[in-house]
Amino acid sequence: MNKLFLTDHSASAGSKKTTGTVPRLFSAFSASLVRKTAAALSLIFAVSSIAAAPFAAAMNVQAAAHSEDQVVLRICNWEEYIDLGDWDEEETIDLESGDIIGENSLIEDFEEWYSETYGLNVKVEYSTFGTNEDLYNMLTLGDVYDLVCPSEYMFMKLMSEDMLMPLSDDFFDEADENNYYVNGVSPYIRNIFDTHEINGELWSKYAAGYMWGITGIVYNPDALTHEDASTWKILNDPAYKRQITIKDNVRDSYFAALGALKADLLTSEEFRSDENYAQRLEEEMNDVSPEAIAMVQDYLQDVKNNAYSFETDSGKVDMITGKVLANYQWSGDAVYTMDQAEEDDYYLNFAVPEESTNIYFDGWVMLKSGISQDPRKQHAAEAFINFCSRPDNVIRNMYYIGYTSVIAGGEDERIFEYVDWCYGAEEDEEDTVEYPLGYFFVNDSEDEDYILTVPEEQLQRQLGAQYPSADAISRSCIMVYFDAEKNDLINQMWINVRCFNIHDVPVWTWILTVIVIAGLVWLFVQARQRQKLYR
Amino acid sequence: MHVLKFSRKSLGIPYALFLILFVALPLLVLFYYAFTNGQGQFTTKNFTGFFTDPNTLGTLCYSFAIALVTTIVCLLIAYPTAYILAVSKLRQKHVLILLLIMPMWINFSLRITALKEILTLIEGNLAYYPFLNAVVGMTYDFLPFMILPIYNTISRLDGSLIEAAKDLGANDTSAFLKVTLPLSVPGIVSGISMVFLPAMTNYVVLDMLYNSTYIMGSLIGSYFSAYNWHGGSMIALILLAIIIAFTILTRGMEESDNRGVGGALL
Repeated sequence: MNKLFLTDHSASAGSKKTTGTVPRLFSAFSASLVRKTAAALSLIFAVSSIAAAPFAAAMNVQAAAHSEDQVVLRICNWEEYIDLGDWDEEETIDLESGDIIGENSLIEDFEEWYSETYGLNVKVEYSTFGTNEDLYNMLTLGDVYDLVCPSEYMFMKLMSEDMLMPLSDDFFDEADENNYYVNGVSPYIRNIFDTHEINGELWSKYAAGYMWGITGIVYNPDALTHEDASTWKILNDPAYKRQITIKDNVRDSYFAALGALKADLLTSEEFRSDENYAQRLEEEMNDVSPEAIAMVQDYLQDVKNNAYSFETDSGKVDMITGKVLANYQWSGDAVYTMDQAEEDDYYLNFAVPEESTNIYFDGWVMLKSGISQDPRKQHAAEAFINFCSRPDNVIRNMYYIGYTSVIAGGEDERIFEYVDWCYGAEEDEEDTVEYPLGYFFVNDSEDEDYILTVPEEQLQRQLGAQYPSADAISRSCIMVYFDAEKNDLINQMWINVRCFNIHDVPVWTWILTVIVIAGLVWLFVQARQRQKLYR
Repeated sequence: MHVLKFSRKSLGIPYALFLILFVALPLLVLFYYAFTNGQGQFTTKNFTGFFTDPNTLGTLCYSFAIALVTTIVCLLIAYPTAYILAVSKLRQKHVLILLLIMPMWINFSLRITALKEILTLIEGNLAYYPFLNAVVGMTYDFLPFMILPIYNTISRLDGSLIEAAKDLGANDTSAFLKVTLPLSVPGIVSGISMVFLPAMTNYVVLDMLYNSTYIMGSLIGSYFSAYNWHGGSMIALILLAIIIAFTILTRGMEESDNRGVGGALL
């Protein structure tokens, strides 16, 4: 059984919220090659169709007839965030209930499945985005999509701007066996989508979850203990000067800073045992009062002088190559990092900070501008969500991209079986512990059917990141979408942290600059005068 | 005759289209965003904001400092190199020049990644030297742009001028200082403008070499990801103005050498 389930597929996959680096450049290169080939082919086609004008006319009629019973679905998703198929034979996931392997891309499989199930052809136009902000900018610039997959704060923003189309009642019909989403979504996740709202509207009215995760610290266990790494305060700890990377985006940095600044309160017994703990935690970790913002700014300025770097993508590689000892990471990327390091027999661990961890979701939402009252389009979009939620496809996606699906499978046991396949202990293994995952699969941590027996070390490894413990989940909280005014303040704070302030220029620099400029002017004047002499 | 005239004009159409689509239109859009606010009303707040915000001014200074040091380092390396190349009697000179240009044929991010590993070997922990890293990275990236124009100018110098100087009693040093150096100024100016200006905005180098302080390019990016297109456009516009001013200032010197310098080899 292949427990190190990352192979060459995941080597090119598994990064959320990234900007391109070397592997991605290659994929961009091959994509452009494909496009060029396509362009060349269409040119040849165009030329030959002129040569065969009578036939072309007949073909056009056919094409028109064809497009009438075909729906075009424009989807925009994160880069490297869906199974593109083409697995090697040996990568087959051999569950007891049957083998699972990605032969074709999930998108092609969907087109086939849709026409078989609903008797209508659908053509998916699939594109990708790099950050939530990029997606938003693309939408404001006039790009039209039917179905997109932003993070929770971004779909909250889209909801508040009335850009989304509500999911239909049919989508939530549990009697329909093709409704894999509603029949398979984790009750824990479903509860979150059914209780969180913006402007009085629930998330679940517009959004269906795709992947989720938490934030934490990947660390080198030879250099740090688990306790050292289990706090946000590590980011400005002088003991690890220039040894830790932090995320290069304002929201993740803000959350970590708040966690560190409020550590005493958040870890106090009194706060923990408060009956409104969850609600109070969410308030504290979404504190955007001017005082909090000022405190965060000071803290992040310290972090800037203490951390190795702010990074979006390079942190994973720097962690694997040992350039840094610890790394602020999203759980999906943490799994990727640990897997990659393991291939070089280098074992890294993952810690969830004691104060609180940011739980995040990426969810499918339909755009009004794209669907535009076309019921066939809406049906295809909802069917796509359902197809991605079918347990075998869920497993393919998780294997391919390393993130955790919101789908638990419902009646279908295969997803739990897959987790066991990845992390479960061998029968003769010693030092095993029980790991209850009932909170995710059936909303009951005590449920004996959902207790894994795993090697103890897995608690601090991939399992702890991909399916966090119930304990870690108990101190997780969502970071909501802030209104425009608060957003401006936070973004300004971020610019203050990152920019070189002109008041910090030392006096001697000003004096030196003045001297140099004066010298240059003098030289210039001298040269001019000499020129006059020659004339 | 008439037909020829017509066809010449039409030859210019692709370029005119290119100019309109990719130069004129974007500039108009840039102007529009720079002088409007979120509600689409005219405002000069973005403009005054640039000169009153200690962050943007500080970033301008920081970018300027990096670009200045990079340019000086490039010049110190490039001038002797170009001079030796130009005056040497080597038969295979073009091979040496090819060696200088060749790194530019390798993917940029691959080169910087390699540089990162080399610097880590030398420095240990890169994060302690952000300014130095930025300068080294930029120098590595832009050095050929400095060498080639200087080489072009020096190699086209009339050798008889130096012979005349020596006939009139100048030794090697003063012949260089009074003849070769002043005559190669156009090449130096062209090299400076090809290094200094890109160095002010090339933030990818800084990102990849762990410099967490913004320069002009990254500041524009951060405005855009905060949906503030107006402030970002204004910064881009002011940078453009600085670049145009710089070009006009240096043009006079370049025109004195009308044999054409610059990246002819590129």
